[in-house]
Amino acid sequence: MMAMNYLGSFLLIILGLYMMVSKRNLIKIIIGLDLVDYGANLLIVSIGFRDGGTAPIFTLSELFSGAYFVDPVPQALTLTSIVIGACVTAMSLALIIKIKDQYGTIDSHKVRRLNG
Amino acid sequence: MMQHFPILSIMVLFFGAFLNGIFGGKNAKARKIIVLASIFLSFLMVVAMTGPVMLEGQIISYWLGNWEPAMGFAFGIGLEVDAVGLFFGLIISTAVLVSGLYSFEYMSHDDALGYYYTLYLMLGGGVLGLVFSGCLFNIFVMVEIMTFSAVALTAFRNEKYGALEAAFKYLVVGSIGSTSVLVGTILLYNQTHTLNLAQIASILPSVSNGVTAVAFGFLFVGFATKAFLFPFQPLAADAHAVAPSSISVLISGVLTKTGVYGIIRLVYVLYQSMNLGPVKTLVVFIGTLSMFICVTMALAQHDFKRLLAFHSISQVGYVITAVGLSTALGVAGGLYHAMNHTLFKSLLFLTAGAVLHQTDTTNLDELGGLSKRMPKTTVLFLIGAASISGLPPFNGFASKWMIYQATFEAAAAQNNFGFALVGIIEMLTSVLTLASFIKVTQSVFFGQMPKKWENVKEVGNGMIIPMGILAALCVITGVAPSAVEKYLLAPATSAVYSVGKYINAMMGEGFAEGVSLSSETVAVDLGRSGYWNPLAWLALLGILLFGAFVAFVLLRKEAKTKESEAAEMFGSVDEKFEPFFSGERAEFSQVGGSDMFWGFKKVMRPYLDFMHDAHSGVVNDYVRWAVECLALVLLYCVLCGL
Repeated sequence: MMAMNYLGSFLLIILGLYMMVSKRNLIKIIIGLDLVDYGANLLIVSIGFRDGGTAPIFTLSELFSGAYFVDPVPQALTLTSIVIGACVTAMSLALIIKIKDQYGTIDSHKVRRLNG
Repeated sequence: MMQHFPILSIMVLFFGAFLNGIFGGKNAKARKIIVLASIFLSFLMVVAMTGPVMLEGQIISYWLGNWEPAMGFAFGIGLEVDAVGLFFGLIISTAVLVSGLYSFEYMSHDDALGYYYTLYLMLGGGVLGLVFSGCLFNIFVMVEIMTFSAVALTAFRNEKYGALEAAFKYLVVGSIGSTSVLVGTILLYNQTHTLNLAQIASILPSVSNGVTAVAFGFLFVGFATKAFLFPFQPLAADAHAVAPSSISVLISGVLTKTGVYGIIRLVYVLYQSMNLGPVKTLVVFIGTLSMFICVTMALAQHDFKRLLAFHSISQVGYVITAVGLSTALGVAGGLYHAMNHTLFKSLLFLTAGAVLHQTDTTNLDELGGLSKRMPKTTVLFLIGAASISGLPPFNGFASKWMIYQATFEAAAAQNNFGFALVGIIEMLTSVLTLASFIKVTQSVFFGQMPKKWENVKEVGNGMIIPMGILAALCVITGVAPSAVEKYLLAPATSAVYSVGKYINAMMGEGFAEGVSLSSETVAVDLGRSGYWNPLAWLALLGILLFGAFVAFVLLRKEAKTKESEAAEMFGSVDEKFEPFFSGERAEFSQVGGSDMFWGFKKVMRPYLDFMHDAHSGVVNDYVRWAVECLALVLLYCVLCGL
């Protein structure tokens, strides 16, 4: 069952990369970037998942040997990663607004003053 | 007290950014005090750690919240400063300090300076945090912090031609790099169930399967993006050309070093796979490609800072190549060149910034003859140019010499023809570097001065002093290579190889022995790397300069008399025989940057045209390169079963 998750996450990453390579609209490139991020997040959560495990919330007295719960570390990592992904999106959209102001277009093939 | 210095030196920068965000927006004085206090404090703390770490060979480890490892398992987030981390920390805090001092005058024409310094301090803190971190996930977080501050600072002068576009490309392709660091981290977590570098290093050699090979590929490409190695060099070129020069210093001198640091940590400490043939081939191949392609790209540039940016990646290529040789001399040469690259490239970017500040352009074809108006900047630029081209007795020569020696020794010892070829490419690259700096010197500082620069003035002391510090360091590290080797390179190189000691410092004594790794400090023998005598070269340089001066004075007299004789005879000087002009001398006939080496460029035209078209400036193309590079490296790693 987890194999599906792994496949799904890498499929998301690949679709996102494909979108970034093929789409000329800058906003669509950012959507592709987000897909890559979400693929990575799905991968992290899947790696921490234990089939049949409980939520990893215990006080010290409740903890007994043989407690079976999902790995909490990847969940913490995912939260951090989601926050960073949101920042990437916000900042790139802000840049796109300014690019639209200056260049009058958000076509990546026309936003190429720096080349060569 | 000393064990708190790693976290304090990072926190002081972030706290400064926070304070600056509150108080520094309007109040210039408060801003200056906050920025100076935080960068100086951080610098002093990093320098204070040199004593125990570099000289006594200790490793300072620090557990946040005192969550020390229990039952042989690292729970908390750790910081660990060993000699190689501190080596990069010293480079970084020096560059941050100098760039901060320079900013005060350089950025005086801009507004929104509160935001500038906040981002600048965050960039410094992020980079320092990266090299001191002992936790793989924290490395990812720091990579993101530094990438975003760098992107925002690239777009800081967003009214400038192309600034937004460069920032956008950097953000998109840089994010692919960061995400691949994250994916590599999590795949390693899947195999080792820990994020602590020391513990991963103790587990990884015994776990070797397809997943760790893929993780290696992801992490390698992620760090290569941060070092802007081939094929990520267009990002660096775009970002440097439009960012304020004080930020170009940080992007080129500091951000690329984090990539180099990441690759060294990855191959030497985490995987300990550097002695494997395929890894060597991969690292040396990528390094050599970056080195050669970027220097040829630089030859065809006509923007001062864009040219410097391509050279920057070319020099980082040297570092990566040397590190990839997997010999003690190679690592030492690579680290030495990494340090020198920060010094001379920062100096060159600052002089470019001085020219930009006074003339408002960096176009090589527009500039010319500035040595008459900006003599101090010219001298400083010449020191930087001589250093980067590897002229003795400056520091570039010392480190390049070590790299050449390491390359040929590795080629002979391993009977590897490829390495001998790499050695030849290294020398060729050095020659091409010299050629393109002759072009810059001629077209910016010498030659005839266009009328519009008549009123250009020298920059103030606020900019001269930081440049002077860097120039002095360039000379000092060049004439005293044996001292640099003894106090900095030997401990750092030894730390690269002493994996067991690194693990024990973090996980407790005896841990490395538990996984059958020796915790001895590995002594490194750098051989005869310092057998050239810099003072002799300095004397030779002095004699040659004096001789050239005498010859110049004598010949000028003779030329003058000849000229007047000719004028008597023909009415005017015959200009047919003048170099470059071969005809009428026009009123203004500066040899522009694009005209130098035209014959050479004509021969290489098909190649240069191809490269020019390849660097199309379209973000999709750069993403495609990144994806192709990632795919190829992953395939290579899996096929070779690293």
